[in-house]
Amino acid sequence: MLFHTWPFFCFLLLVLPVYFALRKTRLWLPWLTLASYFFYGWWNPYYLFLVAYSTLLDFCLVALMDHCPREGRAVNVLARITRLQFDERVLKFAFLGAAAGTAGILLAAFLGPKTLRPTLAALALLVCLMALGALFSSRRIWLLISLVNNLALLLFFKYARFVAENVNELLNWCHVAFRLPDPSTLMPFGFEYLLPVGISFFTFQSLSYTIDFYLGKVERERNFLRFATFVCFFPQLMAGPIERARHLLPQFHRFPEIRLQNFTDGVSLFLVGLFKKLALANYLSYYVERVYENPKAYGAPALFLGTVAFGWQIFFDFSGYTDMARGVAKVMGFNLILNFNNPYLSTGLGEFWTRWHIGLSSWFRDYVYIPLGGNRHGTARMYFNLFVTFFISGIWHGANWTFVIWGTLHALGVMITRELERSDFYRTRVPRLAKQLAVFVFVTFTWIFFRAGSLSDAWLIVQRIFSAAWHDPRMPALMLGLVALVWLYQFLYESRLRPLLASAPVRIGVVVFMVLYLCLCASGGGAFIYFQF
Amino acid sequence: MAEERSRTSQKAAGPPDPPFVNEVRLSARQWLAAAGILAVCLALTPTLWKRGERFETGDDYRIPYALSKDYWLYEWRLERLAPTNTVLVGDSVVWGEYVLPTGTLSHFLNAQSGHPGAFVNAGVNGLFPLALEGLMRWYGDPVRHGKVLVHCNLLWMSSPKADLQTDKEERFNHADLVPQFSPRIPCYKANLEHRLAVLVERHFTFSQWATHLQNACFEQKDIPHWTLDDGGGDSPQYPNAYKNPLAQITLTVPSEPAVDPERGPKSPRHKPWSTTGKGTTHFEWVELNRSLQWSAFQRVVELLQSRGNDVLVVVGPFNEHIMADENRTVFRQLRDGVCAWLESHHVAFVAPETLPSQLYADASHPVTEGYELLARRLHEDAAFRKWNNGR
Repeated sequence: MLFHTWPFFCFLLLVLPVYFALRKTRLWLPWLTLASYFFYGWWNPYYLFLVAYSTLLDFCLVALMDHCPREGRAVNVLARITRLQFDERVLKFAFLGAAAGTAGILLAAFLGPKTLRPTLAALALLVCLMALGALFSSRRIWLLISLVNNLALLLFFKYARFVAENVNELLNWCHVAFRLPDPSTLMPFGFEYLLPVGISFFTFQSLSYTIDFYLGKVERERNFLRFATFVCFFPQLMAGPIERARHLLPQFHRFPEIRLQNFTDGVSLFLVGLFKKLALANYLSYYVERVYENPKAYGAPALFLGTVAFGWQIFFDFSGYTDMARGVAKVMGFNLILNFNNPYLSTGLGEFWTRWHIGLSSWFRDYVYIPLGGNRHGTARMYFNLFVTFFISGIWHGANWTFVIWGTLHALGVMITRELERSDFYRTRVPRLAKQLAVFVFVTFTWIFFRAGSLSDAWLIVQRIFSAAWHDPRMPALMLGLVALVWLYQFLYESRLRPLLASAPVRIGVVVFMVLYLCLCASGGGAFIYFQF
Repeated sequence: MAEERSRTSQKAAGPPDPPFVNEVRLSARQWLAAAGILAVCLALTPTLWKRGERFETGDDYRIPYALSKDYWLYEWRLERLAPTNTVLVGDSVVWGEYVLPTGTLSHFLNAQSGHPGAFVNAGVNGLFPLALEGLMRWYGDPVRHGKVLVHCNLLWMSSPKADLQTDKEERFNHADLVPQFSPRIPCYKANLEHRLAVLVERHFTFSQWATHLQNACFEQKDIPHWTLDDGGGDSPQYPNAYKNPLAQITLTVPSEPAVDPERGPKSPRHKPWSTTGKGTTHFEWVELNRSLQWSAFQRVVELLQSRGNDVLVVVGPFNEHIMADENRTVFRQLRDGVCAWLESHHVAFVAPETLPSQLYADASHPVTEGYELLARRLHEDAAFRKWNNGR
């Protein structure tokens, strides 16, 4: 169910009135959970199981973690196994349950249908780890289980085929007969092997809760429904923004205060998002798709403009989704984080990543970059940490070498701009506009690798941009005009003329223009780009 | 980093409101103002447009083929008729698939009656009963209480496929006019999004007008797609890329091409079916009580009756010459069933006898001379005369 489609409006027409009607009861939260599960199940009801499983496991793991001492203590493992002497009854039951569960699952794997064996084997391993967690009363093991579980889900559904293909290619090159099986053969009951929409988002969100609890940054959530709603809250379930437990979870503790401003702000946000998606992103996509599907048919200017158009398309598409997500949440009284903040006006790549997909970049900062050491161990180590973080960020976007290159280029770009920013000349003499332009050009260049279907396609486009003939690109003037208008608007927004944009007539005029344009020119449209991640 | 901090008060218990980028944030009053402006624009534009756009219709006017899906124009066309006009509704048989506007049934009925313009061609190319029902229900209101001649083309019951009963997905014309949810059409597989969008457009005049604009000025495309029309060549040309979309809006409804090589006596298509090399055809007639198209046709008649229309149904005449012999009995039973239902519901009808073979271009469409003969026969028919004279 996409935000810009009529089924979603019908869904909202049902969900919102009931949600507000239940405000004085305890049922508003179960209603939100139910609505969120319905929203996700609309795409593929089978994968609801994944969300529910991930949610339940992380909820239980944190509950068990809560029963373990913060400080590691020496544990008499032998006494625990032989005499079942545990400090906490919960851990004792967890150990017994997990041990019995492991045995039961292994038995089921042995006796049950063949197609279930890989799934049951993985589950047995996980449950066995849980027994160890209870045995050692170790918060670290519970965290490890959460990490293994969430990342295994992500790796299996998102990267298994990519890994299998590349490993098999390597084995073939080395003349080794062994081949890794295709991941679709590991699916239970022959279910179709599909990438669950939003898996990268909900696993990261759930993971952030367990990590933050482990680090003592959030309290344990004792209400399962509240936690389930936090993981699958429908406005941001599919493509973020990736929320943190300490920001979103407390908002589910009581029904939000009903304010007219929430409604008007929410509708304003939604409209802007709708315009970005339907009027801008979809329009740009028509040109981009044609150019990128057949790059040999186009000259250098068309390839260059197609790449620039994609830069804007992905911005409008993703930030449009985020705006709509924030708008829907706001109407219900919830605040989601800002995910985009005019990123193409950044003066440095570091700044770009504080303005682009802020939820993800701050996630990587907090859970990858800083744990690796951040900038605390010297320049070389800092650059290494940056490189690793961006490499993982690239891979997070998709199982393709193009994303690896994209992430690596950004890592290099961030390093270079950091070095440049150390010099007085760059900081004080280079005009702001030139820096903005440089960042835009660099980011746009990297989008080639993000958009191209394969590395060879990406190289072809790069080559042709610099070597192909200069044919008329035939990019529609209307398209150029719309993008120029948006850029101008953003530029004015960050200039001294900002009060002009804030004036009531301009705001009303912009809203009227957007609605009329949507009614006249919107042309339907496909899914959001980031749903594939 | 320039970020606007929210002006709303920060609640002690909750997190602070996140910043609001780009200032497109309206207060309740501003929303009201915007909604007022929008309501005026959305409500008045289609009405004002009708005053500004030149729409030339003559005695033999029919909706141009290229504008067949412009239902807003269709409604406008009906609005412009005089109460004394008799409206002919139906599919391409009424519209005149192989003939020029001067070779249609309405033209010859006018000629027979001696009142040019009395009979109006309101047929639509590509229509069928399930779509006709939608056309009449959503866009046919202007002819309320008027005289309506409805053509019943039995071709739509000639096979489960024509009756849209097959389970395999079929693409057909005027899908936006067919019932989107009930009754279910098995071969219509549009997704929920499309079906809901269709329902919205039926109730939202501005949206219908926007579609009219696309049909009349932008080659049946929305403006973004029109600017990226690739021109159909081997290499992408995008001939409209640098054109000003506003310049396309000429405020004139396009008329039929002055010379239509596809239609009329000089057209290679305008010839008897038997000379095209087609042999006889075996039809798999659908039983009336199981036919989706017949049910829809019944609903059309009932709808028109409920609107106070004076309805006459012309059944066929279907080209029986094209039929395999063993088919004829079933066909006649079907036709008799149609007539029996019409009679039982006190609907005036005429079931003209089959025209000579050479006057058909295919199974149901006559050529020009066929329409002329049909009009003459209708005019001589007592039921038709009684109905036509009963004003």
